[in-house]
Amino acid sequence: MTRYQGGSLEAFEEIYARLAPGVRRYLVHLAGGSEIADDLLQETFLQMHRSRAAYNPGYEARPWVFGLARNVFLMNRRAARRWARVYESREDLPEFPVLPDVDRLGSQDEIRRGIANLRPEQAEALLLHHEWGFSFEEVAGMLGISAAAARARASRGMADLRAALNRQQRARA
Amino acid sequence: MMDRSPKPPEALMRAIAQDLKPVRPSPRPLQLALRMAPIALLVSSVILLAVGLRADSGILGPLLTWGASAAQFSVAIALVWIAAHESRPAGRLPRQMVYNAAATAFLVVVSITLLTFSKSPASEPLLPLPPRVNEMLRFKPWIMGFGCGIGSTVAGGILVLFFSWVFRNSLATRPTAAGALYGAGAGLAINAGWRIACPISTPWHSLGAHGAAIIATVILGALIGRYLGNHRLYIGRTRA
Repeated sequence: MTRYQGGSLEAFEEIYARLAPGVRRYLVHLAGGSEIADDLLQETFLQMHRSRAAYNPGYEARPWVFGLARNVFLMNRRAARRWARVYESREDLPEFPVLPDVDRLGSQDEIRRGIANLRPEQAEALLLHHEWGFSFEEVAGMLGISAAAARARASRGMADLRAALNRQQRARA
Repeated sequence: MMDRSPKPPEALMRAIAQDLKPVRPSPRPLQLALRMAPIALLVSSVILLAVGLRADSGILGPLLTWGASAAQFSVAIALVWIAAHESRPAGRLPRQMVYNAAATAFLVVVSITLLTFSKSPASEPLLPLPPRVNEMLRFKPWIMGFGCGIGSTVAGGILVLFFSWVFRNSLATRPTAAGALYGAGAGLAINAGWRIACPISTPWHSLGAHGAAIIATVILGALIGRYLGNHRLYIGRTRA
């Protein structure tokens, strides 16, 4: 990031290669569709470029870019006022992540559907921690909550997800 | 072996390549807030240098004169620090802390006003002006209120504009809230200087005129923050 702030195009390409796949999956989760996520991904990196002076090298770049992606999504949602439509479209989530911690409790489709049925704030904290590996302090900084609240949201989300998957297993049996 | 790492799209690369001038990294939130302190102190001291210390400063004592203003100024810098955190996409403070800071700022202003009034209930405008003008101000106190309100709003507005320039690269998720926070910081910093120059202690004057100026700077900061946030991140036009 420091090289990029110094004006290196190669450094930007490296950052993109390292962060774009994860940021894209995060945006797919937030927006609920891969087409809009692709647009938001490009906008996120464009915003990153425009605001590269706002980054302080003393902090990790990854949470900063994920936080920026979240900003871009929220501002886009506000601007377009189409959250309701986006949220309803969650029935079809082809690239929704499957958490490794629960992958034995159901099929990929069931897990995706289970995550989609969680409360949005729980699903977000759960995925940021379990899927993208952010610490609870980093999750807290992105969401504007305390680390304890981030931990609580993620663990409640995980508990609800496990319960839903167990119910489905019992129903099948 | 084939390189499978994702490549940025052509259009994005073109946009990046067009503007690759080196930039200076932003300071940490605390450094940023501390860098604002001398400017805020300078602007808030202008009225003090112009009008001088209030006549009843001897009655109030150093604690209620300088100490209370220093406390208010510290709260102002703390609000700017919180605004700097709010402006980072990955360094936001818990919402509860932001609300607590706003409540603390409100309580500090009200407490200092009431303490000052209880110690010295000065209601006479004693300014270094011709006696005729002071006499007129005594019979028409609203003029004094209007003067303090407008004057501290203008001074606070200048500071808000300066803060807005410093925060122009802000990446706040809630730009309106971030703007309101540094607006409140500017208002409080100005009031810290203004209150020890203003000769009137009555709560209606202090809270009505000076308080209205703080609210005005909060609103101004919020509006500027919102405008800058929308201007920077409104992406509908780029995708249309």
